[in-house]
Amino acid sequence: MKYVFIAVAAAVVIAIRVSVFRIRRRRRAAGEHGREMDTERSAATRTRSRRRDLADSVHNLNRLGDVGTIAMREITERVRGRIFRVGTLVILVAVAAAIVIPALDKSSSKLTPQTVGVVGSLSPLARHVVRGVGSADQDSVTFVSEPSLQAAKADLLSGRVDFVIVDGVEILLDQPVTSSSSSIDTTLVENAATYLGVLEAYRTAGLTPAQIVHVVGAKPVAVHSLRPGSKSVARTTSVIGIVLLFVMLTQYCTWILIGVMQEKSSRVVEVLLATVRPIQLLGGKVLGIGLVALGQAVLVVAFALVVAKAVGSDLLHGTSTLVLLCELLWLVLGYAFYCWMYAAAGSMAERQDQVQTLALPLSIPILFGYIYSITALSSGHADLFFKVLAYVPFTAPFCMSVLVGLSQVAWWQFVASVVITIVGTAVMATVAAQIYRRAVLQTGARVHLRYLFGGKAAH
Amino acid sequence: MLELEGLSRRFGSVTALDDLSFDVPAGQVVGFLGPNGAGKTTTMRAIFGLTDLQSGSVRWKGRQVGQDERRRFGYMPEERGLYPAMRVGEQIEYLGRLHGLNGTEAVTAADACLERMEITRYRESKVETLSHGNQQRVQLAAALVHDPELLVLDEPLSGLDPAGIEDIGQVLVEQARAGCCVLFSSHQLDQVEDLCERVTIIDHGRLVVSGSVEELATSGARRLVVRIEGERTADWARQLPGVSVSEISGGAVRLVLDSKVDSDEVLRAAMRVGKVTEFSFDRRRLSEVFREALAGEPSHEVLV
Repeated sequence: MKYVFIAVAAAVVIAIRVSVFRIRRRRRAAGEHGREMDTERSAATRTRSRRRDLADSVHNLNRLGDVGTIAMREITERVRGRIFRVGTLVILVAVAAAIVIPALDKSSSKLTPQTVGVVGSLSPLARHVVRGVGSADQDSVTFVSEPSLQAAKADLLSGRVDFVIVDGVEILLDQPVTSSSSSIDTTLVENAATYLGVLEAYRTAGLTPAQIVHVVGAKPVAVHSLRPGSKSVARTTSVIGIVLLFVMLTQYCTWILIGVMQEKSSRVVEVLLATVRPIQLLGGKVLGIGLVALGQAVLVVAFALVVAKAVGSDLLHGTSTLVLLCELLWLVLGYAFYCWMYAAAGSMAERQDQVQTLALPLSIPILFGYIYSITALSSGHADLFFKVLAYVPFTAPFCMSVLVGLSQVAWWQFVASVVITIVGTAVMATVAAQIYRRAVLQTGARVHLRYLFGGKAAH
Repeated sequence: MLELEGLSRRFGSVTALDDLSFDVPAGQVVGFLGPNGAGKTTTMRAIFGLTDLQSGSVRWKGRQVGQDERRRFGYMPEERGLYPAMRVGEQIEYLGRLHGLNGTEAVTAADACLERMEITRYRESKVETLSHGNQQRVQLAAALVHDPELLVLDEPLSGLDPAGIEDIGQVLVEQARAGCCVLFSSHQLDQVEDLCERVTIIDHGRLVVSGSVEELATSGARRLVVRIEGERTADWARQLPGVSVSEISGGAVRLVLDSKVDSDEVLRAAMRVGKVTEFSFDRRRLSEVFREALAGEPSHEVLV
């Protein structure tokens, strides 16, 4: 149920981001000529000095040559955009909520108060045992002395006490523990009954009070597990990671697609390709947007870890951090694999309305991997087909992350999947660069597939 | 000097360029003319490697043009190309950097360029907020920022007001004076005549004529402008052998004379119609060069 909730939350996040993007486009289309001119002129001096600083720092990146220059432009333009800032804020808030809410839930349950009425005498040892049972069950137990059984029953009925211990050998309840309307902690009552019985048994067996104290104070033997970590925590982390992976993969690949489409439709690509090679332009764009994506992801992960530490979440325990880092790696690999095809798709589009049509077939494997992963995580079980998909580059970013979260993969399997994905990426990049080179300069007429793969133009 | 040799490009059954060869010498403004669909844009894109050629070569100073050469070229495409949402100054700097300037040089060059195009006040504006004329200026600034050795401009004057044409034309001439090769295409022949020292006319992807404006204007058949009081038609001239009517405007008849025609005969014929108020020889206009070239008369006329 929790996982379904998180998946829905992810959908809401995407919806918000899309609408922010739409609103911004509409506003731009409406034109805000005058206002912008005024504010921009007044800010001109300030911007100029900042620009010089930027120009100098950019110079260092220029060792990469044109690709670096192109990547730097992508980074500055994207990071400056409102869509990026609002989007990052939304993600951070969502992540904080996903970490803080379960932690709050846990800490509030610690403080369930239980009031226990005592009729007759109850030895300090028995009180100690009941309190111990209570704290193990995350209840705080308070004892109230009742003058008589009658008074105890009245308090029980009025709800002033949760249950009553009579002479240390009997427990009295308002209603049976199985009743759904009962407000008392079932396990507390059951455990208190068991342990009071044990105490009584020790006493009748002839143990001295000192011996009883010794027996009751026995420490449990150490418990060791063969494999470290708490699976359920890693699983929660995994879900958060998968949702972020999906959101960011979709987001940044779409940026690539729209970015390429806009360069083509504004014809700026003609000016750019008059001086740089298509592969440099494409590589710079992929690198720039990729670095923005990675920066955002690192920020989110760092933020998640800091928040987790602040609220004492389980996120920092066991394999959770490892799971997060794996997902970061798979974000990079997934982006590297998918971005080329999105770029190729963008190079075939010239108008905004073509973007949907072209992005849809590419988003299907991403969506499939995402939904399948969430399903596998919530059931806690990965079937054979799922494990196979963890080695297919299209779904590996999701499926392999899930297998890590479920601790169902060996290191060499992980490495194998990474290698397969990198090889797949090389193939994708080669094919996509070929399509891009041919399609991005062809405007007006529909781009024919035959032409893209080496044939002659057919119009 | 830019040399184009044997350029051929076909789009399916359409031949855009058909073994096209011509040169663009340095230090001159060269007008590149031709009717719609003649292959002007394809030629210009071929210089920048933006279209795949079936055959032919583009050479700069005797060397095959590659990325290093193109870095020193400036290009202004027909369908303008700038990032709509990027600030003007940053856009010019960015293009300067892609043409090999470092960060500081690019800032300085962009400032100088905006100053020269008189658009410094729009430095922080987004391109999409500017008027058509100012966008055109930004586009030219983008082509000029790295002080190119070759400037190729596709229809740089279209859609500009007279002041804009004057300013941009001035910049092109200055650029050529400084030793740059300038090749620009246009439909407005009178502007080309004012700006260019040379023209190259192509049609159906083939060279029709190429030469200096001066030579083209003085070569070919003689032009005679005759104005007769009260006479608005040119019927009298049409009957004369070896004489053809090129144009009638505002009562002035523009005649083209064969080499055998005696102009005195024409004058006498005119005086028989009425009182002759104007009778003068004129240079061949570029529009006539263009029209006659495309009519196919002097199809092999290539003047150097």
